[in-house]
Formats: sequence, structure tokens, C-alpha cells
Amino acid sequence: MLLDGTALGLQFGLLGVGLTLVYGLGGILNLAYGQMAVMGAMVVTLTMRAGLPAGWAVAVGLLTVGALGLLLDATIMRPVYRQQGEHRVLLSLLLTLGVGIVIDGLLMWRYPIGSLGLDIGGAAVEIFGVRMRTGTLLASVISVTTGGLMLAFLRMSTLGKAIRSVIQDEEGSRLVGINPAAVRRLIFILSGILAGLVAVTRSMTSPVGVNAGIDFTILALIVAVVGGLGSISGAFVAGILLGMVSTVSAFYIGQYITTIVLLAAAAATILLRPTGLLGRNT
Amino acid sequence: MLEVSGVATGYLGENVISGIDFTVGGGEVVAIIGSNGAGKTTLFRAVCGLLRPTAGTVRFEGEPIHGWPTHRISRAGLAFVPAERHLFAYMSVKENLALGAYPRRPRPVDLDLVVELFPRLGERFAQRAGTMSGGEQQMLAVGRALMSRPRLLMLDEPTTGLAPNLADAAYRALATLRQSGLTLLVAEQQVPLVLRLADRGYVLENGRIQMEGSAKELEQDPDVRRAYLGVT
Repeated sequence: MLLDGTALGLQFGLLGVGLTLVYGLGGILNLAYGQMAVMGAMVVTLTMRAGLPAGWAVAVGLLTVGALGLLLDATIMRPVYRQQGEHRVLLSLLLTLGVGIVIDGLLMWRYPIGSLGLDIGGAAVEIFGVRMRTGTLLASVISVTTGGLMLAFLRMSTLGKAIRSVIQDEEGSRLVGINPAAVRRLIFILSGILAGLVAVTRSMTSPVGVNAGIDFTILALIVAVVGGLGSISGAFVAGILLGMVSTVSAFYIGQYITTIVLLAAAAATILLRPTGLLGRNT
Repeated sequence: MLEVSGVATGYLGENVISGIDFTVGGGEVVAIIGSNGAGKTTLFRAVCGLLRPTAGTVRFEGEPIHGWPTHRISRAGLAFVPAERHLFAYMSVKENLALGAYPRRPRPVDLDLVVELFPRLGERFAQRAGTMSGGEQQMLAVGRALMSRPRLLMLDEPTTGLAPNLADAAYRALATLRQSGLTLLVAEQQVPLVLRLADRGYVLENGRIQMEGSAKELEQDPDVRRAYLGVT
């Protein structure tokens, strides 16, 4: 159960990171985030149905959501970037909420009962004397690798540092010669890919339905809030923690109650530590 | 090296500065003096592209740069250290310096030069910028700007929030930079300090340049003495 919790938590963490990166751009909350994830999953499903092997289908799916992120940045986010402070936050909420509803509507209209389930094989394998499903294992491996790569990229590479600098002080970043528009574009692509990836890894353990978008968004919001909005390492820590909480509560209390438990965790964080687990720390 | 002519700009459609003409020659140190609200910061923001001029031209090494985005102006060799510094508070001193060289990788020679100028920064490479004292942050802001090997360094009130002894130290560092041949443009309220360093200066009042002259001329001008040097 502990391993299951960690596996789930790692995915939560990645989900939170994708949202928190975008939030770093002066408080932009992408409420279409979950729908982007689901759209990625649906593209994978359709591509597989068209006969492509799973690996290729996943690549196509991730590229599609990445492109969707790019499209959002180039179109609907333009007026948002021109605003500052509260106006930026509000406008981003309204516009992305609209995008989310549109994606939801399109998916449910075209594929009313569609869902992505990547069948990696339910066979159990033994790891450290613990039985784990292959799907869970593969999902964890992918999540750990992606998380590690993301952290290394953001901490060590020049481009990663440029991303963090725009999040910390946009004017400072312009003064040292960084083009914030290029960084925003990159963040939106990355965020889209992360969302898609999490939808894919989730589908390795349980099917992801067309209507799961809002659940992904809420989950990402909770993780990002508990980790401290804008904090990348915080989102990872919070994700793992909440993954454990979710697994434990699902086991002892019941699946239906986990969302409430997670929301309570977010509420408690806002009350006790408004800056999140690690505080502001990009 | 820098030619500003007829520049006007401001906020919300209201011009704060207008009809600004001045030049900075290669290797010169030029001071812009003026009180709070005279428009010094607005002027500097217009030069480095943070604010778009509504009229006039800005030429840097002959190229018209007004209308360029800030990052392009910065990469062209014009570095700006704002009064609020705009450091990356959650990054280490070393990371801040490294980003100063963006988009290139930081060159060890440049790091050495910055540490030689500000030994304090060398002792604090791993410290987070946001946790340093005001004086150290000012050093870091200048150091970060130097990492790009600028040909013109603009500083807006480098002594803001610094105790008198630290302000003196800041100007000693600027004097060292001047000796190395770097061109400097400094906006300052602490007029005695900046006139000791500068070759020439301009007096900015109510958004217009009211007077210009060599540092010596300005120092001896009765109006300047009364308004800025505390002499009655």
C-alpha cells in the first residue's frame, strides 16, 4: 500500500508541477489543465485504435497536448499577459475555465463513453518482497524519471534557470537578457506535456474517462496549494504526501471520501501554512 | 555611445518626462541628478526598453534601440541596475551571477573579476540572494550586470537604502569600474557622491533637463549648491 501510495503520489506531484509552473507566470491558474490531460489521453486512445503501437500513440498524444499548450499561449493568453496583478489572475481564470468547458463539451459530444485504459498487463511482480502490478510499476518508473529530469533541468540547465528567473522576478529576467515571452511559451508546452503524461500514467492503473478533466484540475490545484503555489519542489513533496493520504483513506474509509480528505488537507494547509509546505521556493 | 534625443514617456498616457536630450560618450561617466519624482527612473526605464518612449529616439552605438524589447537591449551591451535591484531572491548568489551572463554560460574570468571587485560576494556564493543585506544585494545587482560584459552600465540610485559608509563603498567600486574603462550613466540624489565620480552631469527637474555641464561646473553652480548640496 505504501508503494501504491508513492506511485500515485509521484503522479500527483507531476500534475501539481505542471500547474504550478504556469501559476508562476504572475498568478495564471490554468483551469483547463485537467481537460488538457484528458485530451492527451483521448488522442492516445484514438491513435492506438488507428493501429499505432502504444509507445508511438503516447508520443503523439503528448505532442498534441504540448501543441495545445503552445496554442493557448499564442492565442487566448495574449490578453492575460498584458494585465498585471489581480486582473491577470481573474482574466486567466475566466478564459481557461472557458477553454476547459469547450474541451469537455467537444470530448463528451464526440466520444460520450470514451476512455483510455492502457493495459500493461495486470500481472503482479515482486519488488522487495512486495507484490505490485506491472502497470503501477511502469507508471512509477515513468513518473520518477520524469520528475528527476524536470528537477535537474530546472535546477541545473541554463534554460531551466531562466524559467525560474522569470517566475521569481520577470523584470529582473528581462534585464539580464531573457525573453519572457519565449519562456512563457516553453512553460505552457511543458505544462501541457506533463498533464498529458499524468493522464497516461494514470490510465495504466485505472481507466481515464472523457469526463475526468475537472477531477485532474481539482487534484492539481490541491497539490499545488499544499506544496505552495509557484513552488516546484513543494509540488513534488505535496504530491507524494497526498498520494499516500489518498491511498490510505481509500483503503480504510472508501474511495468516495478521498476527494474530501484531500480538500481538507488543502484547507488545513491554507489555514496553517498559507505559503505551502516548503514556502515559496522555486 | 548613447544618444537620447527628444524622448518623452510616462504612465497611463500621461508624460512624466518630455523633450529629453542627452549623450554619453565612450569611457565617460555621466550623472543624472534630480530629486525624488524628477523622472530619473522613468528616463532610465525608457532607455532600457522597460517603458516605450512616446516620442524621440534612443541610439546606442549608432543603432536606434527605442522600441526594442528589454532583453534585446540588454544583449546588445546596455546593462541596467534598477534601484529595486530585481535580483532572483530564491536563487543563490552564484546562480544570480550566472544568469547575468545569459544567454551565454558564465565565463570564469568574469566571475573572478566580480569577486575581485566585491570580495564579499565570493564568500557568499551559496547564499540566497533574498537573505542578504541591502549593501550585499546592491553588490550582487552590479555584479550580475557586469557578467554580461556590458559596454554601458546604467545605475539608478545605487545608494538607495544604504548606510553612508556603504554608499561610499559603492562609489569606490564604481570608481574602480570607471578606471577599467567602463562607460557609466548614474542617476543619483546624493549629488556630492556622484559629482565626485562623474565627468559630466545633467540636472533633471519636473521631467525636463534644466541644466547640463561638467561635474565641476555643476558643483559650483549656485542653484545646484542650494538645491542639492545643502549649501545656502
